[in-house]
Amino acid sequence: MTTTSDDSEPDGPRDDLLAGEYVLGVLSLEDRRRVEARLRQEPALAAAVARWEDNLSALNAEYAEVTPPAETYARIESRLFGTSAGTSSSAVSLWNSLLLWRSLAFACSAALVAYLAYNGEWIGGSIPSTPLVAELSGQQEGSLTLMAHYDADSGRLQLAPVSVGPAQQHSLELWLVPGGDDPAISLGVLPQTGEGAVDVPPQLRPRLGEGVTFAVSLEPLGGSPNGARTGPIVAVGQARRP
Amino acid sequence: MSTEADIASMIQRVALRDRAALAQLYPAVSAKLFSVCLRILRNRPDAEDALQEVFIKIWQRADRFAAAGTSPVGWLVAVARNHAIDRLRSRRPASESLDEAHAIADIGRSPEAETVLKGEGRRVDRCMQELEPDRAGAVRSAYVEGLSYQELADRHSVPLNTMRTWLRRSLMKLRECLDR
Repeated sequence: MTTTSDDSEPDGPRDDLLAGEYVLGVLSLEDRRRVEARLRQEPALAAAVARWEDNLSALNAEYAEVTPPAETYARIESRLFGTSAGTSSSAVSLWNSLLLWRSLAFACSAALVAYLAYNGEWIGGSIPSTPLVAELSGQQEGSLTLMAHYDADSGRLQLAPVSVGPAQQHSLELWLVPGGDDPAISLGVLPQTGEGAVDVPPQLRPRLGEGVTFAVSLEPLGGSPNGARTGPIVAVGQARRP
Repeated sequence: MSTEADIASMIQRVALRDRAALAQLYPAVSAKLFSVCLRILRNRPDAEDALQEVFIKIWQRADRFAAAGTSPVGWLVAVARNHAIDRLRSRRPASESLDEAHAIADIGRSPEAETVLKGEGRRVDRCMQELEPDRAGAVRSAYVEGLSYQELADRHSVPLNTMRTWLRRSLMKLRECLDR
């Protein structure tokens, strides 16, 4: 019952306790900020926090649902997207164009690959400036093929499936493979179909150029648990100027 | 009704800046997340504002869901709890009606919600039963209501250091039990 027994704990269990206290929510604001600063630098502590969050999530059942006021969502939209709380946004039209793109991709996959690779045209119109395209494919049966298209102007990397693998219980995670001994850098988790777009973080944009390698791996639902690739690579390809 | 997989896919689409996915995610989980804000902040206007901020954070941070490795509802609740606790800790001690918080707890959960949320795992419940009842109660109210060490000490009428020791020992016992 004395505090001296706590002081004699080695760092591992002590950090696990700190992670538990953080997740319980009993720390002061200053201590919470200190833990959060460490979380960004220390994967072991971040893993301990994630573990406690998972362990204690059974207590989430105590939060009995309470419907929020009806106008709340409109307020959220207006805070996020400005006052025009409609659905006619560029994000929605992008999504619509992706749906079109998907149906086309399924209809004429092989022709489309060739078309994209040699003409440098993108579905829905011509592409601005010089694009970068990559075809990502796997060797094994059941792997998938994706077309990636990077627009340097917007920093947006768009992906669409050309053939789809059987990855229903998993998430598809997209990686930038820097080469050498550097670990792959996650660019994000793709929707189950493999179709979608990723906004490449500004600090990574200079690294996207001809010859860089993209890879897609199968990860647990929701993506890699530790930020490093854990599952098999199901598609890989190099970027080139078409 | 949305399954865990549906919610995971909505979050992934939100990470790709899909506004339609956010509009789908909101009705699926807002009642749960509003409940989190209410229980912790114990004040309706504050909880309403916090809920808006929670969804703004979800929009901004959905890409981190990939790295979290937890269940999608678990991740969303963690975002809401962290936000509500930060907000609670940063406001000056105010007069709070505990009655309001307890009244909220009596509102029932819909059967649909039960189905979505039962993926939350029950193992910790068994481990909680191995703790002494007052300590298990302290762990539970710390987590659910976001009480500080001081508030827990006051509620259980024990000195602050005793409460610290209770909770730390309880966490160690829980870890040991969960690892078995």
